Amino acid sequence: MANIELRGVSKQFGDVKVIKNVSLTVEDNEFVVFVGPSGCGKSTLLRLIAGLEDLTKGEIHIDNARIDHLAPAARGLAMVFQSYALYPHFTVAQNMGYALRVAKEDKASIDKKVRAAADILQLTDYLDRKPKALSGGQRQRVAIGRAIVRNPKVFLFDEPLSNLDAKLRVAMRIELTKLHRTLNATMVYVTHDQVEAMTMADKIVVLRDGMVEQIGAPLDLYNAPDNRFVAGFIGSPAMNFFAGKVEGFVEGGIEISLTEGAPLTFPCTGSGLSIGDAVDFGVRPEHFCIGQGADGTLKGEVYAVERLGGETYLYLSSSSQKELVVHMSGDHQVAVGDHVEIGFSIAQSHLFGPDGQSVR
Amino acid sequence: MDDSEYTRAKRRRARNLKLWLAFLLAPPAAILIIFVFLPMASAVVYSLYDWNGLVRKEFIGLDNFADILFNPNKNVILFNAFGNNVKVFVTLMIVQNGIALVLALLLARNPRGFRFYQVVFFLPVILSTVIIGFQWKMFLNPIFGLVNKALHYAGLSEWALPWLGLPETALPSMLLVNSWHWFGFPTLVFLAAIHRIPKDFIEAARLDGASEWRIAREIIWPLIAPAVTIIVVLTFIGSFNWFEIPYIMNGLEGSPQGSTDMLGLLFYRTAFGSVSAGGSDFGSGSALAVLMFIFIFIFSIIATKYLTSREVEMS
Amino acid sequence: MKNHLTKAVIAATALSIAAPAFAQTELSFWSWRQEDVAAYGEIIAAFEAENPEISVTYTAHEAKAYNTILTTALAGGSGPDIIHTRAYGSLENISSAGYLEPLDGQVDLSLLSADELLGTTLRADGHVYAVPFASQTVVVYYNMDIFDAQGITAPDTWDEFLAVSQQLKDAGITPLANGTADGWTVEIMSGAFMPNFYGSEFFGDVTSGATTFEDPRYVTALGKMAELAPFMPVGFEGVDYATMKALFNSGAAAMFVGGSWEINGFREAGVNIGMMPGPSAEAGSERMVATWMDGGYAVNAASENKEAALAFIRFTATTPFAQMLTDKLNNIAAVDGAMSSNPDLQQVANFHSAATPYIMLVAFRFDKPTGSSLLQDGLQQLMTGSKTAEEVAADVTAGIAAAE
Repeated sequence: MANIELRGVSKQFGDVKVIKNVSLTVEDNEFVVFVGPSGCGKSTLLRLIAGLEDLTKGEIHIDNARIDHLAPAARGLAMVFQSYALYPHFTVAQNMGYALRVAKEDKASIDKKVRAAADILQLTDYLDRKPKALSGGQRQRVAIGRAIVRNPKVFLFDEPLSNLDAKLRVAMRIELTKLHRTLNATMVYVTHDQVEAMTMADKIVVLRDGMVEQIGAPLDLYNAPDNRFVAGFIGSPAMNFFAGKVEGFVEGGIEISLTEGAPLTFPCTGSGLSIGDAVDFGVRPEHFCIGQGADGTLKGEVYAVERLGGETYLYLSSSSQKELVVHMSGDHQVAVGDHVEIGFSIAQSHLFGPDGQSVR
Repeated sequence: MDDSEYTRAKRRRARNLKLWLAFLLAPPAAILIIFVFLPMASAVVYSLYDWNGLVRKEFIGLDNFADILFNPNKNVILFNAFGNNVKVFVTLMIVQNGIALVLALLLARNPRGFRFYQVVFFLPVILSTVIIGFQWKMFLNPIFGLVNKALHYAGLSEWALPWLGLPETALPSMLLVNSWHWFGFPTLVFLAAIHRIPKDFIEAARLDGASEWRIAREIIWPLIAPAVTIIVVLTFIGSFNWFEIPYIMNGLEGSPQGSTDMLGLLFYRTAFGSVSAGGSDFGSGSALAVLMFIFIFIFSIIATKYLTSREVEMS
Repeated sequence: MKNHLTKAVIAATALSIAAPAFAQTELSFWSWRQEDVAAYGEIIAAFEAENPEISVTYTAHEAKAYNTILTTALAGGSGPDIIHTRAYGSLENISSAGYLEPLDGQVDLSLLSADELLGTTLRADGHVYAVPFASQTVVVYYNMDIFDAQGITAPDTWDEFLAVSQQLKDAGITPLANGTADGWTVEIMSGAFMPNFYGSEFFGDVTSGATTFEDPRYVTALGKMAELAPFMPVGFEGVDYATMKALFNSGAAAMFVGGSWEINGFREAGVNIGMMPGPSAEAGSERMVATWMDGGYAVNAASENKEAALAFIRFTATTPFAQMLTDKLNNIAAVDGAMSSNPDLQQVANFHSAATPYIMLVAFRFDKPTGSSLLQDGLQQLMTGSKTAEEVAADVTAGIAAAE
């Protein structure tokens, strides 16, 4: 249906630069998620695409046509708001058909389109109700229905699930993914929840302080984060980081020492590091194992355990690390106060230079 | 034993709360009864008697009401005044509140100088009606007044009229003055109501392609219904109790030729008398006051009921 | 009759003298004359000097609210011992309610004429309830400096008046300062011009019911008023009392039709005023001024110090009091015998040799609608040309016939 291209987009509110020179492409039919901590500019970026904010600099193209000068309605987009923004004085059907009424479509055609959308979203029984009489999930669906009815080139979602409870959120996540397949549409989705991003996205854009930190498929970001921020942001619980120091260089790698445990050799090509540089060594909680590791072993005392049956979380503190999280599948008989050894392998670990960039 | 201690404590708490509420509510209720309900009740009683000036004579039932409503010598004056009050209400609704709504819609878009406009628009509201009445009476003076001088300078001498002296222009002039005095109030009420509408509604409508006019009419207008209710009812009450501006600007007689006569002026003249219009008649005056009260009360309730039914909760 | 009265008064006075001296009696005295506080202070001091056992406290209320304040107090059973009342309809309002002490028989009213007493007599019972204090007279003021500069002398006849007005207008001067925004000022204007057309008999005829306001004499007089419109200020419909005074004081207008109470104000504003009665209909015909009583002094019937209050009222009916009123307040005292050293006042007093009652105030302000409000509306319409003299006369007649 449509691709979107952002070229050097910047946005400034007064003296505050909210978006700093962002360039990215959303391919046709792609489900792209903007993710980042609050205040990173992800919603602003979405609103710039929607036309609810004006660009300070840069260009936005949809289907290779520049659209950043157009009024919101002229851009062929539909947006689902976090608050759903359902008009309280309209019924569900009136809410869904409003854009078509504004566009002066005839009644029969509006009715058909509204019913079709209601059908997809299982809202047919609620068409005559006012939003007040709907549950949170139903309102959410009406908001999506309002977007679908317009048959837009691009769907924009601004944190649409954050007002739902956990269970409903999971259900809607799946429903939205399904919808994306059914509608075969380009979707841009903003969330602060990396789980939503990981589960729904074809492509994730990680933002921080108005800048793109990394763009890629969910598992690419998980497996090969470009920098320490992305590494820490993607994955739950977050990656454990250990402070280290560059000790020397060997063929095909560098030698680093951690505050604790034996020195390691981390394989890489052309790191740009020099001896004595401070580095961060990262291991995801799920990549630790109990006992001796293939490439290294750490010791710690358990101060909290979460045993969920299917998986177990250990919270340790060691001499060098105040907090260390280990995630294992299955049930493990570990108790608070136990001293345990945990091991890791170099292959499933990450190294970040003093500038925060990945060393590969 | 434990249980009874529990229930006693609970009851004590409930009683304390009730005492506090009574303590806080009783004084305003007493003031209301003494200064509002009692005078109202006494006006009803007064209206049922024949009066010689201020001396109460015999009980005459509803004769005073019949007299002011059906006596052809008196009811022409009453109906003329009532008609003028209706004109006041309609005009203020359109001019004063209409301008206020437009300004509120503009201000809601957060233009440059928003604070400045907000303060400037509200400024006349805080001025005393007496001052405004006098000031505009001077502005509208046919010879020395600012308005006609400005018209002369603008080369519009034929437009320079004795504004307050002609039956055609006196009331409209006063209504403009009143609008000038008060428009800041509805503007502020509307603006607050518009600000209460979540921004998302407007943005969603904008994305839906609605024009600014459509947004104002179909989204904002229904959603500021509670503010509209308040303003309509207040304007209604204010219009039918309108007194200060006509009194200050053209006097007690509704000059010229009754064109600015209002129920309030008529009441005052009837009850207390005036130099030109004659002595006081408390009976007819009280009857008129009672009729005004009943009319305003009933219509305010009907209007409130009707207008409230269009209100929707935003959530 | 008069003799009896005098005897009664003397007897009463003798009685009071014979009685043991009053203990110090304090009398309250209410008025709307805030501008006269100082003068009344002196007058009261003179009274107290002769009546050391009585002291009087003068309180002046805001003029517009005075009627309301007074009637409310009286209705509540309180109020002052001595009341400064207005006359005619306003007086009837409180006297008919029984708030006032009848004075005839208790006070020597021999220095007042029947016409003067008309203002303070209750028509229903024929008793006099107040001692009239001053009369007001409608005159035409003119700015002598302007007249001199234009080489104009004061006109005598209506035609001369119109000619003079035209001459002033041609010279760029507004002939008449009067406007119609305040209805009562139009009525005053009619008081200056109309009597000389409807004549001295009309008042008696119309009040006795022998004729109505549709009488040709009155219609003719009304028609003359309409002829003045061109000589009034531009936009006279919106010219109120304050603007009228400003126009005349500043010399923008050459003439001002007003009551005799204006003299002080014009003198203080430095206008070199001359005064004349309204012009005669034609050369040699009568040239009258309209007059009325401004008010009077009355005793609260509920007063606990009625005797002392009556003593003060008796004092107000004497020539020395009238002289003080004349000297200190520049009033034209109702009580006879005072001579004014003020030439203006003396001139107005001289006009009284040909006087006629100010018709609506004197005779038609008792019922509603009042003749005044009917005439004021009618004159406004007449002057703006929206009604003819015949229509206005018919309106006034119908209104008065329906009044109750």
